[in-house]
Amino acid sequence: MEQQKEMTGQESLELISRMINSARKNYYETGVSSLLWGSIITICSLVTFANYYWQLPGLGYIWFLTLAAVVPQIIISIRESKNRGFKSHDEDLMSGIWISFGIAMFLLSWVMAYMNVPYQPPIYMVVYGIPTFTVGYGRRFRPMVIGGIGCWVLALFAVYASFPYIMLYMAAAAQLAWFIPGLILRKRYLKAKAQKENVQRS
Amino acid sequence: MFKDLNPILHSQLRLAVVSILISVKEAEFTYLREKTEATAGNLSVQINKLKEAGYIDVEKTFKDNYPQTVCKITPQGVQAFEEYVKDLQAYLNIKK
Repeated sequence: MEQQKEMTGQESLELISRMINSARKNYYETGVSSLLWGSIITICSLVTFANYYWQLPGLGYIWFLTLAAVVPQIIISIRESKNRGFKSHDEDLMSGIWISFGIAMFLLSWVMAYMNVPYQPPIYMVVYGIPTFTVGYGRRFRPMVIGGIGCWVLALFAVYASFPYIMLYMAAAAQLAWFIPGLILRKRYLKAKAQKENVQRS
Repeated sequence: MFKDLNPILHSQLRLAVVSILISVKEAEFTYLREKTEATAGNLSVQINKLKEAGYIDVEKTFKDNYPQTVCKITPQGVQAFEEYVKDLQAYLNIKK
């Protein structure tokens, strides 16, 4: 881009619009975090469902995978933030939403285990819907809005389901809230990345 | 009568930089360079001019042992940009 070029008013407006759109395109997330959590919750739910029939004692600890997944999540977040090259206006807000969700989930698991709450999955599904809906609504990303509402609808139905079938609702909630939006985000991200590389090559 | 367009902003590269910085909270020099497709030297000169005008803040730090320059628009820069767009729209409307 040349500095000295004299611009007309129309060209100035076009330049502003082009630059704002170009910066906005970078808002695409990689989708890796959504895919990670969508996969982990789905696996844990399905294994818990299957273990009702298998009765393998070791598989009772499968939900500890969610604690272990915090480590790769931190690495992913740091790496993505480093490679992005910019900070969006709502980045701190989004981080706050997901950090508070993580803390709330940890505390909720502990409190419910301590209080011996039966049929916990519908409660988790209600909580899953909150950050998913909020982020989707805030970023105008419809798959996450649908995912959030889906979690709440599934929570209502799950109340009437018995164990182990309740775990299938949980798996469906994880797919709706994170895995499917994650796949869409990933597809968009890879498309935007390919476009960028094409522009750089030409 | 038309108000003269702000000469600091009415230049291709400086306007591009400010337009990007309006859209994000802060941006690294490399990101601005990639988006504007400008040379490092030219971009550096124009960033300094915007800084001298008080339109952007420039923070120089180190990341992984490499120097890193982070730019952020100031409230004065936001105001100047808004006025520039308003003047531009008035100019284009009357011209039509």
